[in-house]
Amino acid sequence: MARLLFWRLLRTALAVWALASGVFLLSRHDVNTALQLAQPEAADLRTGAGTPAARQAQEWATRRRLGLDVPLFYVGRHVPAHAVEGQWHWNGTNNQYHQWLRGVAHGQFGTSFRTGEAVTARLGRALLFTVPLTGSAALLAAVLALWLAQRLAARPAWLGPVRGALVGVHALPLFVIALVLLLLFANPAVLAWFPAYGLDQSTDADLDVGSQLADYLWHLALPVAALTLSALPGLTLQLEASLAHELGSGYATTARAKGLAGRAVIRHHALRNALLPSLAQLAELLPALVAGAVVVEVAFALPGMGRLLAEAAAARDYPVLMGGVLLTGAARLLSLLLTDMLYFWVDPRIRWQS
Amino acid sequence: MAVLTTFSFSWTQKWAFAWLGLLVAVAAVAPALPLPYLPTVPDLAHVAQAPLGPGRHWLGTDVQGRDVLSLLVFGTRTAVLLTLPAALLAACIGALAGGAAGFWGNRRRVETAYWVLAAGGAWWVLRLPAPWLGPLVAALAGARLLMSKRNRPTPGPRLPLDALVMGAATALDSIPRLVLVVAMAASAGGVSATGLLVLLTLTAWPTPARLVRAQMLRVRALPFAEAARAAGVPEWRIWLRHAMPHAIKPLESNFPLSLVSLLSLESTLSFLGVGLPPEIASWGRLMASFRQEPSAWWLLAFPTIMLVISILSLNALARWRRI
Repeated sequence: MARLLFWRLLRTALAVWALASGVFLLSRHDVNTALQLAQPEAADLRTGAGTPAARQAQEWATRRRLGLDVPLFYVGRHVPAHAVEGQWHWNGTNNQYHQWLRGVAHGQFGTSFRTGEAVTARLGRALLFTVPLTGSAALLAAVLALWLAQRLAARPAWLGPVRGALVGVHALPLFVIALVLLLLFANPAVLAWFPAYGLDQSTDADLDVGSQLADYLWHLALPVAALTLSALPGLTLQLEASLAHELGSGYATTARAKGLAGRAVIRHHALRNALLPSLAQLAELLPALVAGAVVVEVAFALPGMGRLLAEAAAARDYPVLMGGVLLTGAARLLSLLLTDMLYFWVDPRIRWQS
Repeated sequence: MAVLTTFSFSWTQKWAFAWLGLLVAVAAVAPALPLPYLPTVPDLAHVAQAPLGPGRHWLGTDVQGRDVLSLLVFGTRTAVLLTLPAALLAACIGALAGGAAGFWGNRRRVETAYWVLAAGGAWWVLRLPAPWLGPLVAALAGARLLMSKRNRPTPGPRLPLDALVMGAATALDSIPRLVLVVAMAASAGGVSATGLLVLLTLTAWPTPARLVRAQMLRVRALPFAEAARAAGVPEWRIWLRHAMPHAIKPLESNFPLSLVSLLSLESTLSFLGVGLPPEIASWGRLMASFRQEPSAWWLLAFPTIMLVISILSLNALARWRRI
């Protein structure tokens, strides 16, 4: 079992590395925009000499500061000044890709182009916000789905409308859910129960811990609700369908014939078997919530990982962007590990076979 | 077989077809429609105006004074022209890659001459030192191929086709699509419509590839494939003519679902302000402008209704086989 798990993780890690390398190499095509965005402000330029030579020196200094002065990859096409066609050239290990890879292996993701801060510090600060958001949403969605699917499997009278509502919400993209919540519950014209933005500005120093926490939860309510609503229908519908399938099988009929209550048949007999396909969905949930955080944090103006990613992408802040991509890959690895452990817990036969 | 089954559409599916047909028609004739205002021209006299107000803005205007109706029409055009080709291309690429990977697996031996031919071509394309060497080697390999048509071909090393295709698909799937597209779209500079199309296709092909590969693994073991092989039909012909028509069956119900995911991905990107340049109208951008003017419900309501009806219609179509 451990060997199987190890190979699976290794394969996913390889895939993440390959994808991150691809994004790294492709993203550097647009180095010129990054340079322009990272240049000192126009006001600073005016005080310096405006001659082309001075500007070139300035640009070269920026390039040097950002580590963009060395070649991109191990091999590259060099175009000499007086030649029509470039020649392939071996750049050695002094290239951007090698430096980035070495940094990642040592746990350093470089420094942000925009702020000059270490990427790990920025990501860490953003994660401190995003992990509670996505974590509580994931937990809430999973628990609610478990509960709701069990209730639905008992075929109550309200099955039809609830299932219809779930299918309807399932059709909505996450940002539409977020905007509709904003329209309904954070709008002075309808209901102004929750704030629409402003989590990072409202932390006054003189507030005590209790009201700070209350403020935090008050700001987080709508984002968590949006993420939960987007994840819930898929999980519930899947689990409900597989519960219905399991309840039609022989052992469920036997349990009912023994005189067990419908609830007990669902909970003690059918649920474990019905959970297996849902676990595969759970593996998708954590990375999907990281992607969902991009949307939700932009919609609710929250200072988290997703907004950091979106802003880094817009500002061509490559080190932050690559850090985010790698972190998302790590979330994928983590959820894979978690799911495999859950598989072994749910179905012991898997443990015996491997 | 499949041709003989009669389709019976349910009531919902007829409406779904009608709605999607309407969308495609609107997208096709959008520039010729008699709209009172163009989406690019702001009407500064009527800014953030409610529907049915003065000035012939039937669905109101946004915060910049642009007409919501014409933004919706041209947003439809953007959505259709972006998602439909992307879904078609992704289905084609996925079917070819997945079908080939499933049919030949990792065991297919390729003649040495083909390897040499590919190496020569790559040499020439990459412009390695002395580029004339590439075509020369390729020509030699081609001549060898032509000659060996008559006598028995010499099998070369195995081609790990399955591992290649599935590895690429796994790599692309290891990160959520939205994060990947945001990272690539933004870092490649303000993407044009074509660039976004390529990006969407690139991230969408793994799903059809997996489906077709799984089906192909089943199809290639069926008796008719064996019968064709026994009759002496060439391998690639069995693949294309006999196996592929059956292997692409799962795509019929997957295609509407792939359209759904592309549609929501496209509008999410426009909402985030990542994909298309700001002057191109799109539903997502219209919905995003609601955040600047929270009292203007019409900015959110109309595009949301369009998007939800489209997605529900596509979901209804995805079930057409099962009815």
